[in-house]
Amino acid sequence: MLRFLSAISIVFLFCFSAFSHAVTVEDSKGTFTLDYTPQRIVVLEFSFADALASVGISPVGIADDKDATRVLKEVRDVIGDWQSVGTRSQPSLEVIASLKPDLIIADIGRHESVYEDLQKIAPTLILPSRRETYEDSLKAAAIIGKVVGKEAQIQQRLQEHRVSMQNSAKQLPENAEVQFTVARKDSLYIHTANSYAGGVIHALGLQNPPLSRDDKQASRQIGLEQLLAINPEYLIVGEYTSPNVVDNWQSEPLWSVLKVARNKHVHRVNGNVWARCRGIMAAERMAQDLVTVLAK
Amino acid sequence: MLNVFKNLPYLGQYFILSFLLCLFAWLSLFSWSIVPITGQQALTALLHPDKNIIAHSIVLDLRLPRVLVAAVVGACLAVAGAIMQGLTRNPLASPSVLGVNAGAALGMATVSTIAPWFGLFGTSVAAIIGGAITWSLVMLLGAAWRGGNEHGRLVLAGVAISALCAALTKAMIILHEDQAAGVLTWLAGSVADARWSHWQQLWPMALVGLLGAFLMSPTLNLLNLGEDNARSLGVKLGWARVICSLLVLLLVGAALSVAGSIAFIGLLVPHMAKSLVGQDHRKVLPIAAIMGALLVMIADVVSRSIIYPIETPAGAILALIGAPFFIYMVRARTS
Amino acid sequence: MRTLFVSFSLFSLLAFLVVLSLSFGAVSLSISEILSGFTPDSEFYFTIHEYRFPRAVLAVLVGAMMALSGALVQGVIRNPLASPDVLGVSQGAGLAAVVLMTLFPSVSIFWLPWAALAGGISAALLLWALCGAHSSAIKLAITGVAMAALYSSAVDFLMLTRPLEINNALLWLTGSLWGRGWDQVFMILPWLVLLPLAFWLAKRMNLISLGDEVATSLGVSIPVTRLSALAIAVGLTASCVAICGPIGFLGLIAPHLARRLVGGRHQILLPCSMVVGMVILLLADLLARTINPPIELPAGIMTAIIGAPYFLWLLLKTR
Repeated sequence: MLRFLSAISIVFLFCFSAFSHAVTVEDSKGTFTLDYTPQRIVVLEFSFADALASVGISPVGIADDKDATRVLKEVRDVIGDWQSVGTRSQPSLEVIASLKPDLIIADIGRHESVYEDLQKIAPTLILPSRRETYEDSLKAAAIIGKVVGKEAQIQQRLQEHRVSMQNSAKQLPENAEVQFTVARKDSLYIHTANSYAGGVIHALGLQNPPLSRDDKQASRQIGLEQLLAINPEYLIVGEYTSPNVVDNWQSEPLWSVLKVARNKHVHRVNGNVWARCRGIMAAERMAQDLVTVLAK
Repeated sequence: MLNVFKNLPYLGQYFILSFLLCLFAWLSLFSWSIVPITGQQALTALLHPDKNIIAHSIVLDLRLPRVLVAAVVGACLAVAGAIMQGLTRNPLASPSVLGVNAGAALGMATVSTIAPWFGLFGTSVAAIIGGAITWSLVMLLGAAWRGGNEHGRLVLAGVAISALCAALTKAMIILHEDQAAGVLTWLAGSVADARWSHWQQLWPMALVGLLGAFLMSPTLNLLNLGEDNARSLGVKLGWARVICSLLVLLLVGAALSVAGSIAFIGLLVPHMAKSLVGQDHRKVLPIAAIMGALLVMIADVVSRSIIYPIETPAGAILALIGAPFFIYMVRARTS
Repeated sequence: MRTLFVSFSLFSLLAFLVVLSLSFGAVSLSISEILSGFTPDSEFYFTIHEYRFPRAVLAVLVGAMMALSGALVQGVIRNPLASPDVLGVSQGAGLAAVVLMTLFPSVSIFWLPWAALAGGISAALLLWALCGAHSSAIKLAITGVAMAALYSSAVDFLMLTRPLEINNALLWLTGSLWGRGWDQVFMILPWLVLLPLAFWLAKRMNLISLGDEVATSLGVSIPVTRLSALAIAVGLTASCVAICGPIGFLGLIAPHLARRLVGGRHQILLPCSMVVGMVILLLADLLARTINPPIELPAGIMTAIIGAPYFLWLLLKTR
């Protein structure tokens, strides 16, 4: 009798524990279920590493383009060492397999073509990252938190994040027009209200300047003439290389016609943080950058 | 209408085309601007510039160099194409078909990805060297001097070399992903970012190249009669070829280094010019220069308007116009 | 005798390269580990059976098909500078793929090979409609070149007006074996039906290489032979491009190399080209994976880098 009871209780306990770990979420391919807490996670985009770091989990592998400095410093400090699994556009599947992961987090935009192969290595959670908006990236972070068994922590972290963003917003001039651009060697790209940076700017109580063309493109190349037409109050330049196109333009007479040039409101920031990282910590870092340069 | 124009005397055609050129230059100074500019403002900006008016600054600092560069680039490429066709006696010869553009692009991509510290000057020199190497290779491989019925061989040599250069250029771009957008824009060719510094780099080379071309036009006429006839009329064939090749490289190099790889002008325009004034190179070259200038300028205006206010590279538009013409040419000339 | 020796060395080289590509990559494996990788419960099962082996098989198939297609085109056009590229098939396929990627980004990636296949075949049909059966080979080639120029300018136009899609499209356009597996191998297998047809044409191709008059007087119908050879080449190229993207230069250099090894008789030249193609593509993919792991380079770039110097040397020599 006693043995029977203990057997029952063991079975019950076992079911209960398995049941308590089973999570079901909606990802970009439909329903995703995981019945254990993953220990070895490989992420194929920076924003996913950011989400894991936000709840104190270290991934074993990151597709970091073989350049560890592309991962946000705040994230690096939390997660410690990882192994590079190649570029984000073409991660090396054999390196991923050799890490023996029990969860892979992939980007629907870049990795849909290898989704089946990734599934053969480990359960794969596929979420939007590239070209997602700020709000979508927070939703993706919440999903990741739930899958790795830290739902309470991620919700709390998101709450802290919103408070932190509001605090930053209070220190910033209200409704100021801020235009984020990415500068390469000889071309400048604006990121519109539909882009990730545009979403962060909006969340901080600032405005994206109205564009003459109301299109859905998140980013496009512009010339000096078009920059003159936008003529924002503040210009944030995310630099990919230095010297870049903005240095060339600054020596031209037309540059001085811009409002940002006359008021000295051109501010340079790290292009990698602003355009590539995306995520909770990245957004907070962007907010800090803005507070540093725009504080009232 | 077209027939009336064709029957006009040479000088008449010349003046009408020059007038059109000025008209489009003026249009290009103020049209499709995000900051509103009127046609009258464009003229006053030229005559009585006032630095405090934004429109005047745009016209003088952005639009004027852009128009001038577009015109000179078009003229250079058209004249280079005419020389190449005269030299090889091959109606399909032109910088883009014979791989000069692809070679220049490879040179430029190599320098800007491997040694970006060379700057603008370095990339121009690299573009010219790359173009020179491919041009000599294609001429050697395609047995270009034989002329006559071997049109196909020369073109296939050009295509093979172009494919080679294009593959290596792509390799450069992929290995340095961050530079991809810049190299692609260069490959398509655009005068959108032309400034006075580009103009200053362009005009001396273009002037020498164009003047040299006009001086060589009687020789080109003689070459047209066939090698033996030309030789018996006192043409030193070797020298004529070397000088013409150098002129082509100078013109193409000047154009490519400021505007990027603009294709098909060199193929299209000489044929248009010849259909107007016949085979005499003394007349063909000036008309081709003006028509080339006009065409690139129009393409530049179209490139601004097509997805306004986004700038589409003018070269991409010229390629879309030029490629069907290339197909037509092939069908008409190789039967 | 020479043929025997050449084929023996080529096949040993091929076998050696297959073993190398199974054992090297981001992680190096020993022979026993490779063998264990074919059993489902091994820890290397994914790396070997699901990743390196199908990739090597695909490289062998695609290399053979592209090289065969190149040999056919060179035989018909009778110009050593011709290649499947002059038919505009790769560029047509590329245009269809880029249209799908840029204008319909929401469409599943599953349709990409089918779109590319349709694009490649329509390009060939359009070329045939423009030239007809009776135009000269060289005219066909140059019209194809012109069509290819049109397609690639359209591709450039699309990529430049939609800057965000550049990298995905560029990666596809250079040709790569990354992420291809058994599914792609099974997609390409049905096209192997074309191989016996190509060998059946070999004898007629020999006669064609003697010149149109001789061939006609010996009872070979030039238009029929030419059309069937080109149709086979188009089918082979289009199916390869649809799956791997346009892998440059393979169709151009593999037949050249084969011709130098075994001479111009098509009965031997065609199979030899295929083996040379397999060797080149396997080598290219092996280098692409191992040169800077875990970064994967597109194999199409490596074929160009391997092939380019040889091609230039060859051209200067045979001028």
